[in-house]
Amino acid sequence: MVLEIVVMVKQVPDSQEVVIDPVTMNLNRSMTRNVTNRADENALEAALQIKDKVPANITIVSMGPPQAETTMIECLARGADRAVLVSDRAFGGADTYPTGLTVASAISKLDHFDIIIAGEESSDSSTGHVGPGVAEFLGIDQITYCSKIEFSDGRVTAERELEDGTEVVQCPTPVLVTMLLGSNFPRMQTLRRKIDATKKGIEVWNLEKLGLQPEWVGVRGSPTIVRRMQSIKERERAKKPVTLEAIPDMVKELYEKNILKVK
Amino acid sequence: MSEFDAIVVGAGPAGASAASRMASSGLNVLLVERGDPPGSKNVSGGILWGQELSKLYPDWEKSAPLERFISNKVTGFLTDDSYIGIDFRTKKFEKEKTGYSVLRTKLDGWLAKKAKDAGSTVITGITVDGLAWNDKRVVGIKQGNDIITSDLVVLAEGANPRIAIGEGLRPPIGDHDVAIGIKQVVKLSEQVINERFNLRNGAGMAAEFSLGFLKNGVKAGGFLYTNKDTISAGVVIDIAGLRKDNSTYSFNIMDQFVSHPYIAPYLEGGQLQEYSAHLVCEGGIDYVPKLYGNGYMITGDSAGLSFSNGMVIQGMNYAIASGIAAADTAIRCKNSGSYDLDQIAYYDNLMKDSQAIKDMKNFRGISKVTWSPMVHEFIPKFAESVLNGMFYETGEPKKHLMEIALGSLKETGYDRKKLIIEGFRLMRKM
Repeated sequence: MVLEIVVMVKQVPDSQEVVIDPVTMNLNRSMTRNVTNRADENALEAALQIKDKVPANITIVSMGPPQAETTMIECLARGADRAVLVSDRAFGGADTYPTGLTVASAISKLDHFDIIIAGEESSDSSTGHVGPGVAEFLGIDQITYCSKIEFSDGRVTAERELEDGTEVVQCPTPVLVTMLLGSNFPRMQTLRRKIDATKKGIEVWNLEKLGLQPEWVGVRGSPTIVRRMQSIKERERAKKPVTLEAIPDMVKELYEKNILKVK
Repeated sequence: MSEFDAIVVGAGPAGASAASRMASSGLNVLLVERGDPPGSKNVSGGILWGQELSKLYPDWEKSAPLERFISNKVTGFLTDDSYIGIDFRTKKFEKEKTGYSVLRTKLDGWLAKKAKDAGSTVITGITVDGLAWNDKRVVGIKQGNDIITSDLVVLAEGANPRIAIGEGLRPPIGDHDVAIGIKQVVKLSEQVINERFNLRNGAGMAAEFSLGFLKNGVKAGGFLYTNKDTISAGVVIDIAGLRKDNSTYSFNIMDQFVSHPYIAPYLEGGQLQEYSAHLVCEGGIDYVPKLYGNGYMITGDSAGLSFSNGMVIQGMNYAIASGIAAADTAIRCKNSGSYDLDQIAYYDNLMKDSQAIKDMKNFRGISKVTWSPMVHEFIPKFAESVLNGMFYETGEPKKHLMEIALGSLKETGYDRKKLIIEGFRLMRKM
């Protein structure tokens, strides 16, 4: 039997290049390059490592505008087998609730799935909602913030990094797992795969294909709205060169300025 | 049976032009570029001189992402305290556009898109590892564990041709073959740039300086090019001189140039948008390898096709021309059904008659002049001293020019014999 793995990915603006428009306070995306969300690359790599050991099919599912195709092609070039982009104007402006619903209904349209793997969160909104949301909409178990996953005998074994140790969780499929950013080293794209993916193209599914009502998705289906964005100015910090002899005086000064307190 | 008629490695001006031309003639073309998007790994001053692109896209002056046409050419010297320049403006440049300032991320993106629209398969973000050989013939490229086959490979790797060198198709790069280019792109408004440089109606300036303020035998040129609402400012540094002096770093030279008292005001208040560095081909005709072989052709910077005589720097136009010549050769091979060596040699014939090779042959050995102590030390100091002598009002009786010049010559302390030799060479070569 071939294991069916779904990997959820998102195309995000390159976080190193993001600038906030000083006037509108919105993210200025015109200057930035779009990349695959880094944690999602870890999710794909986790899926590929399972596929290295057992026969598996990896399907990429993403919701986004048409230009997210480049991210999908990249995932195929790394080793995924199929890519489905869920894209429709109706999905625009969605918060995490209808996004979870939309992605979940796309996944449920696939013939079958055993494991869904997502990144822990996206670098552009950092909510970590969509993965768990998808699991809830599909009514399946979830293991979040994993550093490692393995599959054998119909069960997923996952390691979760906790503050005071590692938790090992085992769960039968179907299950949704979210992977920590940096939990593995994503493999490179290959030219051969990228040529094939570029020639073949990806599947694009719209609202109609998913059979959802327009008022359930996008901005209309979103219970939250962003009222305001604010950029934070970094505070200038005072700097002083330190010499060994000057330390007592400096401590005294900090005490006098009420920065240091003595019990 | 090969998968592609031709594979082009590198989507710069040479590679994208070649791919586009071949694909529009119906060839099955793969264009592979390691940068994503195309242009993101490329650096150029840069001015695109000439009309090469019109051979591919007759309407290129309207559709390509060009910044400003060059109406104004400045050539000069900078010393610690002075700016000496020739500022040449002419109506002729405004009527017959001879060059445009360009930004490579935009231009290369446009060229790659054109190649894609023409029907090439364009793959970005992947580095080709090497060539695939069969019986002393290039039969494709290697990447990872895969081989992608083609009847011809066009190498358009740029100034650091790893594959051509790695496969033994050209000698490794020596200190005198390349220079280090460093560039800043500084954002200002279109209006501020127009005012600062006395420009209007989309006109732009291209300025190149010899940096006479450098010490310890370090030699570099500086450039300022106006884009629509940014300025490209940078330096091109001689590697041999830099290697000998352990106290100067390449970025110091950049800092000194942009903070020079007569350069800094041009950039004042601007926002640094890009900072990049790249190799610049400087080797001249002697650095150009055999341009073709069994199953491959070498184009653009990877073939060393660039020209610099200190006053004019060109490369992108040669790259485009060589890309077109390689494409025409491939098309000829495809039509004749033969990819034999004597068919590929057609590329060499086309290049022999090209402006690139003619210019480079004509100026063989020019780098000895452009990187000479005469240009980088003597002329800036001498000119500064003469001009001071002519224009500085001391209240003393005025001297004749000859008298001033002789005095200045003495002041520079430059060896006279050396001066005569280098001066003669300069007149002859330049």
